[in-house]
Amino acid sequence: MFKSGLGGKITLKLDDAEQGVLSQLFEQMAELLNDSEIETSSDPLAKMLNMSGSTQISDDPALARLFPDGYSDDEHASADFRRFTEQDLRAQKITALATVRTTLDSWTGKSTVSSQQAQDWLKALNDLRLVLGTRLEISDEVETDFDLDEPGIHLYNYLTYLQGTLIDSLT
Amino acid sequence: MTAMPIEDVAIDVSTDRPWITLVWNDPINLMTYVTYVFQTYFGYDKPKAELLMLDVHEKGRAVVSSGTREEMERDVAAMHSYGLWATLQKDD
Repeated sequence: MFKSGLGGKITLKLDDAEQGVLSQLFEQMAELLNDSEIETSSDPLAKMLNMSGSTQISDDPALARLFPDGYSDDEHASADFRRFTEQDLRAQKITALATVRTTLDSWTGKSTVSSQQAQDWLKALNDLRLVLGTRLEISDEVETDFDLDEPGIHLYNYLTYLQGTLIDSLT
Repeated sequence: MTAMPIEDVAIDVSTDRPWITLVWNDPINLMTYVTYVFQTYFGYDKPKAELLMLDVHEKGRAVVSSGTREEMERDVAAMHSYGLWATLQKDD
């Protein structure tokens, strides 16, 4: 869990099982983001000009949730918005993910998190919850529809708890 | 008590700030997280951020900022970087 200490310093404490689970989940996130990048970047010149983003929302509901449309009522404007923003958005998500994975790879049981690292953790944890939540088809009627035997639900609840401790530490 | 000149305000808003950023409700983002994002990115104080978050949660969506089209594209891109479901549109 995350905890704020003296001088606003944030510490993260995880046991071996938590570290293992988080490492695995964030590795899968990295694969998901990298795979989606390969799909969309074919033209090297366009890539250099930072214009190679796709113009279509993904068929994969989880990727569609991470990279939503910018306009709800204008397909053409949405396509342009995506072309010019999606690459950068993906790069930001990959950077946050890299921060988190570096912390977990050199894990010693407890770590102090800088304010920049805390922001990266916050975004990466949220992206992970969005992907897992979408896969589990989490809806607003969460409490009643939850199948508690489903291991994914336990992971999702754990991530919700962990993110909650981080938000508490930041506010 | 004097009523607010609502019509004047509305006209002012629609001519000067013709584009709006909407944040939509979703079942995954935590209420505390959404409030935190509104405070951090827009610089809103906690009461205002919480009111907007509750609007999103209860009404399904809320206008979180207004301005030029370019400004709103920047705000929507920023909301997406936090994982919030946001869109922009002309305010009519």
